Amino acid sequence: MFKTINLISIVTFCSGIIFSQVKLDVNTIPTKVDIHLDGVNIGSSPIRNERISPGLHRFEIKKKGYAPLSYDLLVNPAQAVELDFFLNPIYECKFKTDEKGLVFELNGEHRWDVDLVRLRLEAGDHLLRVFKIGEIIDEQIINVDQPKKYNYFLKKPLSAGN
Amino acid sequence: MYLIFFSNLVFAFDQEATYLVLNHFDESLPNIDQSLIDNFNNASFNFDESVNLLFDDIDSDNNPASKYMDQIKELGAIHHVNYILLNKIKHIDNRIIMEGLLFNTRSGGLVHRRKINVKNYNNGSVNEISLWVGEIRNKIQKQWEKARESIMFQNPEEISYDKTPMGAALRSLAIPGWGQAYSGNSLSAGLWAALELSLSVAFISSYTNYDTSAKSYLQNLKSYNTTDDEKEVSAYRASAEKDWDDHVMYSKLAIALAGSTITGWVSNSVHAWVFGPRPYTNIYQKGLPQTAVPKG
Repeated sequence: MFKTINLISIVTFCSGIIFSQVKLDVNTIPTKVDIHLDGVNIGSSPIRNERISPGLHRFEIKKKGYAPLSYDLLVNPAQAVELDFFLNPIYECKFKTDEKGLVFELNGEHRWDVDLVRLRLEAGDHLLRVFKIGEIIDEQIINVDQPKKYNYFLKKPLSAGN
Repeated sequence: MYLIFFSNLVFAFDQEATYLVLNHFDESLPNIDQSLIDNFNNASFNFDESVNLLFDDIDSDNNPASKYMDQIKELGAIHHVNYILLNKIKHIDNRIIMEGLLFNTRSGGLVHRRKINVKNYNNGSVNEISLWVGEIRNKIQKQWEKARESIMFQNPEEISYDKTPMGAALRSLAIPGWGQAYSGNSLSAGLWAALELSLSVAFISSYTNYDTSAKSYLQNLKSYNTTDDEKEVSAYRASAEKDWDDHVMYSKLAIALAGSTITGWVSNSVHAWVFGPRPYTNIYQKGLPQTAVPKG
């Protein structure tokens, strides 16, 4: 009797696990991107008819030449969940200036003070700050839309007013 | 028999494809209802603007799939539909945050969910709704996918340029200075063309002199061997010796100039590649935004 109840419990538990899983489809642009679900590679996109259990999950999407993406998703019980990911390419850029004594800062993270620097930048907008003798003198958004060179110039004072 | 059974199933499915559409948008999309009706004419859509607060924040619920079962069933009965399609769109920082939820009115459960977080684009909200409903109806138009892809930044390998450093190098290899002119550098183009032209003319001139000296030497040598006149022997000997010296000198000069011309030609092509057309952007100092300037 006890064994029968145990067996029923196990069967019920297992069927609960199987039937409570949610169908998962993952689309990406670009396609053929490695999808990692909770640290396990579940294949290349597009992913079709994968199964996922309700709860919190972490997706990691990686492709060479694109910025990696991490995404935490709380999966609610449903029949199907569909996710779309858009990966941003990384462009090889150069940043050059002939101005002296400047320190550049990008997105509050990267700093340099040399005339020419090579940068691997994610496509999109970036915040550029420029410092001179420890004081900020410029702040602007630069748009990175292709691999290219950026030449920075200071605003020259008008000679007519002097 | 199988065919009839299958047909009945399809017919039954299409008959069941009735949707109550609840649109919760932060900005009005005036043509969205008609757009759904036009794009998915094999489904029936009802629209109800009055159901607003039912699904305010679905992720805050412990079990959203079952929490609204009674309301979903009730709405299904009121509107005589089999599915409830909830479309939520917010616009945050130039991005479209869309969430689509599909409920089955028979069970009251959530059957399909889609989350989209994408940079805004032309007619983007309507396009994303079309893609989401198209996924449900298994009827996605290529133009919707292309419209979405239009906002994506290009793969660096797929970016094509009108002018390239390689194009400049090949042009300069064909005609010195052409690659520099192609890159818009007229001065450099003129200098390279003049240099290569001068070297080429000098080489041709040296080679011609070498050839003339060699022929003259052979002629004088022949005359020297055929005459017995003492004066003529002396004159032919002197001429032959001069021609020999000249032919050696012009030979060395021609070889040196040929080397210089070839080296210059290749250097001109390399120069065209190094200083070839590459994309760039000039950034000029804008100063600080007003909010960032400390007040005195």
